[in-house]
Amino acid sequence: MNSFQILVVEDDKPVRNLITTTLKANNYRYITSINGESAIMETASHNPDIILLDLGLPDVDGVEVIKRIRSWSNIPIIVISARNEDSDKIDALDAGADDYLTKPFSVDELLARLRVTQRRLALMQNSNIQESCYENGQLRIDYAKRCVYLAQEELRLTPIEYKLLCLLAKNTGKVLTHKYILTNVWGNSLDSNVGSLRVFMATLRKKLEKNSNSLQYIQTHIGIGYRMMRVE
Amino acid sequence: MNFVDKGKLKIFFGYTENIGKTQAMLKAAWIAKERGVDVVVGYIAANVSEQMIEQLSQFEMLDLGKGRIFDIDRALERKPELILIDELAHTNNFNSRHKHRYQEVEELLNNGIDVYTTINVGNIESLRDLVASITGISAWESIPDFVFDNADQVELIDAEPQEIIEHLKEKNTAESRLSFEQLSALREIALRRCADRVKHVFERTQDKKAFHTDEHILACLSSAPSNAKIIRTAARMAKAFNSQFTALFVETSDFVTETKENKQRLRENQRLAQQLDANIETVYGDDVPYQIAEFARLSGITKIVLGRSAVTRKNFLGKQTLTEQLLAYAPEIDIHIIPDRSTDIAYKHKKTKSLRKNEILKNGIISVAIFAGTTLLSILFEHLGFTDSNIIMVYILGVLLTSIVTSHQIYSLVSSVASVVIFNFLFTAPRFSLEAYGTGYPVTFVIMFLTAYITGTFAIRYKAQAGQSAKIAHRTKILFDTNQMLSKLNGKDEIFQATAKQIQKLLNRNIVIYENENGYLKNPYFSLVNENENYFYDFESEGITAKWVMTNNQIAGATTDTHAHVQYLYLAVRINDHVYGVLGIDAKESPLDASEHSIVISILGEAALALENEKNAREKEEAAVLVESEQLRANLLRAISHDLRTPLTSISGNANNLMANGKSFDEKTKQQMYADIYNDSMWLIDLVENLLYATRIEDGRMKLQTSAELLSEIVEESIQRIRPKANNHLLNVSHMDDLLLVKADAKLVVQVVTNIIDNALKYTPSGTSISIITKRVNDLAEIQIADTGNGISDKDKQHIFDKFYCGDNKVADNRRSLGLGLFLCKAIIQAHGGTISVSDNLPHGTIFTFTLPLEEASYYE
Repeated sequence: MNSFQILVVEDDKPVRNLITTTLKANNYRYITSINGESAIMETASHNPDIILLDLGLPDVDGVEVIKRIRSWSNIPIIVISARNEDSDKIDALDAGADDYLTKPFSVDELLARLRVTQRRLALMQNSNIQESCYENGQLRIDYAKRCVYLAQEELRLTPIEYKLLCLLAKNTGKVLTHKYILTNVWGNSLDSNVGSLRVFMATLRKKLEKNSNSLQYIQTHIGIGYRMMRVE
Repeated sequence: MNFVDKGKLKIFFGYTENIGKTQAMLKAAWIAKERGVDVVVGYIAANVSEQMIEQLSQFEMLDLGKGRIFDIDRALERKPELILIDELAHTNNFNSRHKHRYQEVEELLNNGIDVYTTINVGNIESLRDLVASITGISAWESIPDFVFDNADQVELIDAEPQEIIEHLKEKNTAESRLSFEQLSALREIALRRCADRVKHVFERTQDKKAFHTDEHILACLSSAPSNAKIIRTAARMAKAFNSQFTALFVETSDFVTETKENKQRLRENQRLAQQLDANIETVYGDDVPYQIAEFARLSGITKIVLGRSAVTRKNFLGKQTLTEQLLAYAPEIDIHIIPDRSTDIAYKHKKTKSLRKNEILKNGIISVAIFAGTTLLSILFEHLGFTDSNIIMVYILGVLLTSIVTSHQIYSLVSSVASVVIFNFLFTAPRFSLEAYGTGYPVTFVIMFLTAYITGTFAIRYKAQAGQSAKIAHRTKILFDTNQMLSKLNGKDEIFQATAKQIQKLLNRNIVIYENENGYLKNPYFSLVNENENYFYDFESEGITAKWVMTNNQIAGATTDTHAHVQYLYLAVRINDHVYGVLGIDAKESPLDASEHSIVISILGEAALALENEKNAREKEEAAVLVESEQLRANLLRAISHDLRTPLTSISGNANNLMANGKSFDEKTKQQMYADIYNDSMWLIDLVENLLYATRIEDGRMKLQTSAELLSEIVEESIQRIRPKANNHLLNVSHMDDLLLVKADAKLVVQVVTNIIDNALKYTPSGTSISIITKRVNDLAEIQIADTGNGISDKDKQHIFDKFYCGDNKVADNRRSLGLGLFLCKAIIQAHGGTISVSDNLPHGTIFTFTLPLEEASYYE
């Protein structure tokens, strides 16, 4: 049995069944709740490892649920949204969600997201103290020296690229919205800076993925943001 | 504006003080209270008897705070059903929102609150003079007649004069000294006024516009203090005859030089006339009687009311009086002459002095200069041996020039005399004396003087008229321009801005205009005289005034009686009850004159009309879009119901089979059924995705959320999406330009790329390749998606982007497509301002090409 316990918050029964069946088949432990209030109760009483949260709940808005849970807990939250609107996902991510899934989603996708989050959790538990070094596949960041190495070779990064990389690295596995990145790297989230973000991200990726056998470190989420993936 | 039922106004009306109006009002209020009406006492005069204090204690008093002054905001906040307010004619102090209490009452009524109030006969505007002539006491405060006439109920408090005299014996007020006869006369006036009101109300219910007689009464407005009396008299006549009533102001060319006080008085007189239901008109011209007569003739005036001053005032040349001239110009019109005892002994047409001084100096210098020139020229002529007549002509020319360049008749008169004297002195024998030997000279002098004076006078008059017609033409042109301009504009903002700019140009004052957006004033737009000036505008107090104007649909602000303390004068841009916006005019320093006011009103009328047209057009357009999207929805429903059946049949059938007979199938069959269910549902998912976008576009709901996007990222995302399907094709991606930033809604463009590649995958044989190329072409980003399939026929190319067009393509899995994919691509690309096209790939295959606008590449580190 997998030691991870997952809270599934979903009001639609067939989808709930689909998720729980998938979880059962992959040896996850799970608990379910069908609305926002009970989700908050369950989180408080069972302290699950991951929450799968549907945004369109009958009682409380999903974003509100995230905000309330975030007031006392850092449990990873993966948002499931039927709405096609990016703004909902961005709101959820900005409120503190870690990742998102859009309905209809495939079972594989769900499992992949769960694995990413699991790895992130494991990392968080192992490195509670601020480390002076970050390692991910062939990528190594030496925070103390402000140096970045890829396959033992030093990368020449501009200050902005370095800041970007550090921000993504510290949040490995978590989707960061454009707004979040802009406020943390540029200090404001003006629309006029979105172009800069795109360009620096593109140059950064080019440097990162140049000679790394098409390994993808940074994932693009069109209209939402970016995420640093953990590479095995 | 919120539409509440208007409150009812009941007036307790008495013919003198202490007749028991307040008591009657309290009694009526008590009855209402017994019936369960929510009654509040708003204001009761300070000098109440003990008996009344006891009565008052039974009512809730409106909390007036420290001021002990009636506060309309507290009343509106308390919002009782009925409020009692004593002394309707009261005038507030300067800081109040309204100058007059009746205006406050009007606002309370508009907010659905019933009002009981009291008034004395002497406080009714049209009866003020009459009552004053009887009692010798002139009431300072008054209400316009329409307030009294439009009240829902008037209760006359009547008592025998004898009783009142006895009752008042112990008091020592002005009223208590009134005799029995005086009181009887007042009583009669009050009774008659009530009777008139009843008649008025009756006629109003009969027919609003029909006047019983063909009479049309005209009063002339002037800045004289006695003019108010003329207006009131004319208004009373109009009421008595039940006729139309017009107040006319003739603006002469020297009106601009009038003093501030005179202009102010003129405005007050105009307002008075307005309150008395007069139509206010302004005409321009220097010949006042002619203008009046002409106006009267054209407007069908039957009676003209004049003051006695117009009859007696003479000008020093013994010119005819105004009345005499009027009689001559318009013999068929009745002229009524009103005695105005307090005539204008102290009143003169005072001109602004400082202006005069400068003018005199300037004109004097000019005149002297012209004369010097004339004299020099004459001396030259004499030396050349020209005759006297030439010299006379030169002097006449000098007078004419003087008249043209100076501004008053006096200059032409003086220069006429001077030219005769100088001619006599310098050019007639004996030289250098005022005598003349020639026998014909006296005649020459007289004729010379007359010719000079008459030509001079005509020149001045012509000049003044030319100035006036220029002014009229200027205004007409602005009105016309505004009209033209407004009809061409589209969009509210443009109309508001153009209106503000036109009025700013016209008045040369600072203008602000607000838009009424669902009851809130939005988007203040300033049109300033001096754009660069750092201008201060107090948004708080000005905003409150503007808001008040919007909700009450009335004029307010500087130079009015409401919110008089602010800097701007606010007018509603409206059609009937609908207020489209509020215009503010900087009028603190110098108020608008009548003609400016009326032209502003006309422009605002035009603007409101344009706004209404714009609104109607917008609504119509919205309705058309609605119809179209309704049609699309119907088409979609038809298409869906037809095309969705196939995959749904397969899904439900397979699932049903698996549920019922799952055990009897072998593993291979089961796998096939699972795959079918999966594939069909995936097909449905794709379709739903496209449908959602398509309906959003058609609804006009699709708002592009563009931002700077890297084209390579967009293509990458599309490839990621499509890759699971592209097992049998080769996908080549090449970016010719690095870091191509486009201004796009990424999600939608991803859908475009996905749809085109998806089509290529579907309609081209396995093993062929699909290449995606992005590059920069001038200032556009271009994306090419080329396949090496069998190509598309020219006929199909024409229609390939049409909605629901599917061509004759036989698809591999034999499922018809909805014909939405490419239609959607085109709609999305067009919404971005790009183009999409299809062409042949050589030697065979198809190329889809579309463009997107580039984003300004500016990066910030």
